[in-house]
Amino acid sequence: MTTSFEQQRLDRQKRRKATLRRFTSHPSLMIGTVILILLIAVALAAPWLAPYSPTRTSLVNTLQDVSWAHPLGTDQFGRDVLSRLIHGTRVSLLVAFWVVTLSLIIGTIVGGIAGFFGGWIDRSINVVNDILMAFPGFLLALAIVATQGSSLESVIIAVSIAYTPRVTAVMRSVALTIRPRPFIEASRSIGMTSTRILFRHVIPNALPPVIVVATLSAASAILAEAGLSFLGLGVRPPIPTWGNIIADGQASITTNPLISISSGLCIAAMVIALNLIGDGLRDALDPQMRRQTTKIL
Amino acid sequence: MTAPSKVLLDIRHISVAATDAQSTTPLVHDVSLQVNSGETLAIVGESGSGKTLTFLAALGIAPNNLKVTSGEVLFQGDDLTKLNPNELRKRRGTAISMVFQDPLSALNPVFSIGTQIIEVLRAHLPLTKAQARARAIELLERVHIPDPARRIDDYPHQFSGGMRQRALIAMAIALEPKVLIADEPTTALDVTVQAQVLELLSELREETGMALVLITHDLGLVARHADRVAVFYAGRVVEQATVQALFHEPRHPYTVSLFRTIPRLDSPTNMALTPISGQPPNLAQLPEGCPFAPRCYLAKPDCGSIQVKLRDTTNHEHLSACQYWPDVQQAS
Amino acid sequence: MSNPAPTPLLELKNICKTFNSTTSWLGRPSKGVQAVDDATLSLYPNETLGLVGETGSGKSTLGRIALRLIEPSSGTVMFEGQDITHLSARVLREKRQRMQMVFQDPYGSLDPRMSVDRLVSEPLDVHNIAYAERQEKMQAALRQVGLDPSLAHRYPHEFSGGQRQRIGIARAMVLDPALLVLDEPVSALDVSIQAQVLNLLHEIQTRTGVSYLFIAHDLSVVRHISHRVAVMYLGRIVEIGTRDAIYNRPKHPYTVSLLSAVPIPDPDLERARKRIPLIGEIGSANNTPSGCRFHPRCPRAREVAQQSSLAKQKVGRIEIPMICATQDPALVGSEREHACACHFPHDTL
Repeated sequence: MTTSFEQQRLDRQKRRKATLRRFTSHPSLMIGTVILILLIAVALAAPWLAPYSPTRTSLVNTLQDVSWAHPLGTDQFGRDVLSRLIHGTRVSLLVAFWVVTLSLIIGTIVGGIAGFFGGWIDRSINVVNDILMAFPGFLLALAIVATQGSSLESVIIAVSIAYTPRVTAVMRSVALTIRPRPFIEASRSIGMTSTRILFRHVIPNALPPVIVVATLSAASAILAEAGLSFLGLGVRPPIPTWGNIIADGQASITTNPLISISSGLCIAAMVIALNLIGDGLRDALDPQMRRQTTKIL
Repeated sequence: MTAPSKVLLDIRHISVAATDAQSTTPLVHDVSLQVNSGETLAIVGESGSGKTLTFLAALGIAPNNLKVTSGEVLFQGDDLTKLNPNELRKRRGTAISMVFQDPLSALNPVFSIGTQIIEVLRAHLPLTKAQARARAIELLERVHIPDPARRIDDYPHQFSGGMRQRALIAMAIALEPKVLIADEPTTALDVTVQAQVLELLSELREETGMALVLITHDLGLVARHADRVAVFYAGRVVEQATVQALFHEPRHPYTVSLFRTIPRLDSPTNMALTPISGQPPNLAQLPEGCPFAPRCYLAKPDCGSIQVKLRDTTNHEHLSACQYWPDVQQAS
Repeated sequence: MSNPAPTPLLELKNICKTFNSTTSWLGRPSKGVQAVDDATLSLYPNETLGLVGETGSGKSTLGRIALRLIEPSSGTVMFEGQDITHLSARVLREKRQRMQMVFQDPYGSLDPRMSVDRLVSEPLDVHNIAYAERQEKMQAALRQVGLDPSLAHRYPHEFSGGQRQRIGIARAMVLDPALLVLDEPVSALDVSIQAQVLNLLHEIQTRTGVSYLFIAHDLSVVRHISHRVAVMYLGRIVEIGTRDAIYNRPKHPYTVSLLSAVPIPDPDLERARKRIPLIGEIGSANNTPSGCRFHPRCPRAREVAQQSSLAKQKVGRIEIPMICATQDPALVGSEREHACACHFPHDTL
C-alpha cells in the first residue's frame, strides 16, 4: 500500500498534469503565450540581438533605405531602426509587467475590501473608482503625465492609475458574489476575523476573473504608452519605444514606410498576444468551476 | 380499476451514454418501461441513477452530449427516437408533457405567468389571444390557484413555491397530454404544500385518465400515490412491481436496503438506521457484473462476474434484476 | 419530573429578529421582515433539540442567532451560564471554540481552493492552538468522522457529497465544542448517505457529550435523532416538548397537520390515513396575521367555532373563535416536557 507521502506525491503529479493539459489544449492561449515568450526573449536578448546601439546617431547615414546593413533602414538621426525596435520591446514589456502587477495588487485589495465589507467603505471606494473610470483611460494617463512630466516612471504610474479602476470594479463584483457563499459563513462561525477571511478565502477564490481583466488591461496599457510616446509625452528620447518610433517614422512615411509599419506591427503583436492570453485564461479557468458544479441527472 | 388500460408509452431497451473527447460513459443501460393509461408509475432512485435522464432522452430533450445509443420509444405508433426534432416538438407538450423539479428556474422571470401559459397554448392550437387568455384562466382555476383572473398577470416571483409548481402543472396539462411526467415535483416544497400538489396531480389524473409518471426518491410519496413502481440503480432498472408487491415483498437487495435506511414516522425510535455500505456508484467505472454487488449484503462470489438482466420473478408483473431474488429477505 | 433541571447549555430568551429591508427605491422605508418573534428555548448538555418548521418559520435564523452569527434585534442569548448577547467581537471569538456550526450545503460550505487538511485545521489555526498539536488534532477529527487522514491533502471536489459533509463535521468538532448547531445537515444528501451521517452524529454525541441544535424540515429525520423537538411557524415557537410527546401526542393544530402530511412508506397505512389539510399557504413573514398567526389556516379554529358557543368572528367567509383572531396565544407548559401556544390545543375541549 502506498504511504501517505507517496499518495500525496502521486496526487500532486496527477493534478499538475491535468492543469497543464487544460492550458495546453487551448489553442489561442498557447498562441498568445508563444508570442509573448518570443517578445520576452527578444527584450532580454536585446543588447546581443540588436546589430547596432539604438541610440548611436550617424549624421552620415540618415534616412537610409532598406538594405542588408540596415534591414529596416535608418531614421532621421541615422539610428538603425531595427535595433531601436528590438530595444523598444523592453519598454513595452516593462510597462505591461508593471501595469499588471500594480493593478492586480491595488485592484485586488481595494476591490476586495469594497465588495466584502460593503456599507460606507464600499460607497466611498466606489465614488472614487467610478470617477476614475468615467475618464477614458488614455486621457487620464495623458493628464497625469502632463502634470508629472514625461519619463518611464511617470508613464508607468499614469497608465497604472488609469487602468487599475477596471480591475478594482471586477474584483469588487466578484467579491460580492463570494460573500454570501456558505464557506464564508462557515469561516465566520469558526471565529475568523473579517480581514483574515478576506485574504484567506475571498481573494484566492476571486483571482481567476481578476487575472483575466488585469491581462486585458495590460493590452490597453501598452496601447496607451504607445500613444503617449507617439505624442511625445511618454518616454523621453533617445530611449526607443514603439510609440516614438512610429512618430519618428511619420516624416519618412512616403520614402520608408517600414519604420512606422514595423513598430505598429510590433504593438499589434503584443496587444494580440495579451488579448489571446486573457481570453484563453478566461476559458481555461472557467470550465473548471463549471464542471465542478454540474450535476448529472 | 376494471377498465382495460392500454400501453401509452413503451420504452424498450433504451441506453443513453455521455460521449466526450476521451471516453464514453454509459448513464442509462438497457431500460425498458411501460406507462399505461390511467395509472401512476413511480420511478424511484437516487441522484445519478438515470431515472430522470431516461425520460429526458425519450422525449428528445437530454443535454446535447448525451445520446440515445440504442433502443426505441414507442408512442402512439411512432418511435420517438426516430422522429425529427420538429415532429418531436409537436408531440411534446401535446401528448406527452413534463413538469420539472425547480419551479423557479423552469419559469421565465421576465414574463408573467399568463404570458407563458398563453405562449404554450398558441404554439400548438389555433387560438386568438382572447381565447387563449380565457383558457389560461380556466387552467389556473383547475389547479386551484385562487383568484385566477387577477393572478394570471403576476410574475413568477410574486407566486409562492407551491403556486409556481401549480402554474407549471397548468402549463403541462394545457394541451391535455396523455402522459404527464413529473420530475421530483415536490422536492423544493414544504411538506404541507407537497401533499397539496400531489393531490392535485392525482385529481387531474382521475379526471382526464392520463397517465402520471412520478419521478422521486421519496418512498413515502410512492406508497401514497403510485400504482406501479420501478426502482433505478446505476442507470438500470433493478426492480419493477405493483406498489403493494414492492413494499410487502421486495425482491432486490437494493430495494430492501433502501427501506432499511430511511427514517420513518412509524418505526420504533430506538431502531437504528442501517446505512447502505460503500459509496454511490461511479458510472464511469462500474464493476463487472451486478453494479450493486460492492454494496450488497447478499452478494455472492459470482455476482461480480455474471451479467444480470431484469427478469420476471413469479409473474411478469414483478421483475427483479437480482439473480438471487428468492433469498432477498422481506423488509421488516 | 422530580429531579431538578440541570443548567442549560444554551438559553434563548425572548429572541426577536426583524430584518429591515433597505428603503425601496422610491424612498419609502419598508416595514421589514419579522423572521423571529419572541422565541424562547433551552438546550441542555448531551441532548439533541430538533427545530422543525417550513419556509418562513425562522428556524435557520434562530439557529444562527444562537451562535450570534446573526444579531438578535432583542432578547438574550445565554451560553454556559454566561450572557453572550452583547459580548465584544474579540471575546466572542474566543467563545466560538465552544460553539460551532455545520451547514446544509456540502458543496458550498468548504472553500474549494483549500485542501482538506488545511480546512479542518483552520479552526485550530484561528484560535492559536499550539502548532505541535494541530496535525494530531486534525487527524483525530478526520478519523472521528470515518475519513482516512492520509487523503487529507486532497481538495473538496475530489470527495463525494457525504464525505464533504463529514469534513464539515470534522471541522466543526476539531475544537471539541460543547454545542453544535446543524442547519439541515442531511437534506442535500442522497437517502443512502443520510443514514451514514445520522449514525455518525449519534455516535459522536455518545462519545463526546456534545449537544446538537438540529434544524431540519424533514420530520422523519428529526424524530430519529432528537430527544426534544420544537416546532416553529412564522417566527414563533408553537409547540415544544419531548420527542414522544410531540410525535405521539401533538397538541398544536399546525403540528397535527404537519405530521399528517408526512408520507409514510407503507401503502396500506398511507391510503388509510386521513390527511388534515391546511387551507391556503404559509403567509409571508412581513405581514403576519393579527392574533394567533396561524388562525387563517387553522382547521381546529373552524372546528371549535362550529362546535362551541364562544364569541365568533368572521375571517373571509369562515367563522372562527374571536379569541383566535385577536389574541396571540402564549406558550403554556413546561418546555422540557410539553408546551404549546394555542387557545384550543388538541387534547382539551
